[in-house]
Amino acid sequence: MSNSTPQGKANASEQPQQQQKPQVLEEDDEFEDFPVEDWDQEEAEQSATNEGNDHLWEESWDDDDAAEDFSKQLKEELKKVEASA
Amino acid sequence: MSTLAAEFRNAYIHGSGPALATVFTPIATTNSPHRLSSFYDFTNAQYLTQDLASSLFHGKGLKVSKAEQTAWVNVFAAYWEAVGEVLKFEDGHSEASAAAIFKAWKKMAMALNKGYTDAGFPAWTLPCMYTVGKFLRTFAIKADNEAASQSSTTFGVLDDVAADVEKNAYLEDGARIINRMFTLCLTDRAPIEDSRKWGIYNITSLLFKTYFKINSVGLTKNLLRAINAQSHELPPLESFPKSHIVTFEYYIGVIHFLDENYTEAEKHLSTAWRMCHRQAIKNRELILMYLIPCHLVTTHTLPSKQLLASFPQLELFFRPLSNCIRKGDLVGFDAAMAAGEEEFVKRRIYLPLERGRDIALRNLFRKVFIAGGFEEPKEGQPPVRRSRIPVVEFAAALRIGTHATGRTRIDIDEVECLLSNLIYKGLMKGYIARERGFVVLSKNNAAFPGTGV
Repeated sequence: MSNSTPQGKANASEQPQQQQKPQVLEEDDEFEDFPVEDWDQEEAEQSATNEGNDHLWEESWDDDDAAEDFSKQLKEELKKVEASA
Repeated sequence: MSTLAAEFRNAYIHGSGPALATVFTPIATTNSPHRLSSFYDFTNAQYLTQDLASSLFHGKGLKVSKAEQTAWVNVFAAYWEAVGEVLKFEDGHSEASAAAIFKAWKKMAMALNKGYTDAGFPAWTLPCMYTVGKFLRTFAIKADNEAASQSSTTFGVLDDVAADVEKNAYLEDGARIINRMFTLCLTDRAPIEDSRKWGIYNITSLLFKTYFKINSVGLTKNLLRAINAQSHELPPLESFPKSHIVTFEYYIGVIHFLDENYTEAEKHLSTAWRMCHRQAIKNRELILMYLIPCHLVTTHTLPSKQLLASFPQLELFFRPLSNCIRKGDLVGFDAAMAAGEEEFVKRRIYLPLERGRDIALRNLFRKVFIAGGFEEPKEGQPPVRRSRIPVVEFAAALRIGTHATGRTRIDIDEVECLLSNLIYKGLMKGYIARERGFVVLSKNNAAFPGTGV
C-alpha cells in the first residue's frame, strides 16, 4: 500500500560491504498506483531536460583498476603454482 | 449521506470519473473523517433503497435513465453494507471480520459490473471500476491473511496441500470478479470515444498484480492472448494515459523476465522506465530491479554510480556485485551472491544475476591478457599484445584471493573447462593448444570482443 514507508533506507549510506545482507523489504512490495493518471513527457524519467540512458549504464570492465597491482599478484600466484608443480 | 450523495450528483453532472471514484473509496479522509460513518448512519436497512433513490436522483439537473438509476441505487446499497462492515471492523466489533468486508465488497463489485452490462453505465465512470477492483483485491488479501492467522492458531499446522489451496481462496474469488471487469472492458462494442476499451490496460494490470500474488503468473498469458485477439479494435497503447502504459509495460517486462526472455523483457522495462513519472520513486526502483539484471545479461553493462545513487535499496543489491564483476573478483562475486541470495531468490533475480559470473571471469582473464604485455616489437610495426598465454597463468589468476597455499593442487582441466566455456559463449576468442599448455588468443583487438582488446 502506498502509505508504507520503506524500511532499510537508514543504513544505505554506510559503506555497503559484500558481507552485508540486503535489508528485508516490505512484505507487500509491489507496483504502486500513480497519484495522477497522466503526465507530460517533461515529468517523465526521460524528458528533454533529462536525456537518454547514456549515463545510466557503464561498461562492465575497468582498465584503470590498478593493473600493476594485479600483475604483481599474478606473479606471486604464479610463483606459488610453479613451486607446487 | 448528504455529503456522499452530493458528491455523486456533482461528479455525475460534470461527468468526472475520478470524482465519482472518490465517492466509492471506502476510506475516511483527513478532510472528511466522518464521511463513512455519516453515510452509514443516515439510513437503515429497512429504508435503504428508498432513502438512496431520493437522495441520489431526486431534484434538478441530473438526467439518468430509470434503469441506470436503479442500478446505481443497487451499487450504493451494496456500498452501504460494505461500509457498515468496514466501520464495524475499525471499531473492533466482535462480529467484524476482513472476510465479511470482502464478501460485502464483492457484492458491490458485482452490482457495479451489472450496471455496465444491464444498465448502460457510461464509459467515463470507469475510474469507479478501477477503485472498486483495487479495493476488492485489497480486502481479499486482508481476508486471506485473517484466515491464515486463524487457521494457524486454531488448528496448528494444516496439511500442506490443503493449506496451499486455501491460502488464497478470497483473492482467487476476487480475481474472478476482476476478470469479469476485464471482459467488460475488452468486449465493449460502443464507439471508441465512449468505450470501456479505454479501461483495458488498467484492469489488465490489476489482474496481473492479482495473478502474481496468487502465484499464477501463467494465467497472465490468457489475458494477453485475449488482448492480442482484439488488438485491431483497440486504440494503440501510446494513446492511453501514461499511468496505464507504464504499469502495463512493467508487468509485461516482468512476465518476459520470468520466462528468461531477457531481450524482450528489457524492451518493455525500458519503455516503462522512460515514461515513468520521475517522482514515483518506488515504481522506478521496481522497474530497475528487473532492468538491471536484464542489462547485465543482454548487453553486459552495469548500472552506473549515478543510477544507483538515488536508490539505496538497489545500491545495496547491486553495488557489491557490480564492483566484483568489474574487477573480475570471483571470490567477492560469490560472497556477494551468497549474501544476497535470500532476497535475490525472493525477487526472482538470482538466475540472471548469476550469469554475471561469466562476465567477472571474462574480466579476470582479460586482465591476465593485459598483464601479459606485448610481443617483442618488430621494426616499424605497432606493438602487438602477447597472444599466446600459458594456461597456468589463468590458473594462477583464479587463485588470487582464494588463500590457496603453495600446496593447493590446481586442476588444469577445470581451468581449461572455464576457458572453453568463455570461448563457446563468445566472450573470448581463440583456442586452447592443449598439448603445449597455451591459449592462443585472437589478434587485432579481438581477443575479448567488445572490450577494446
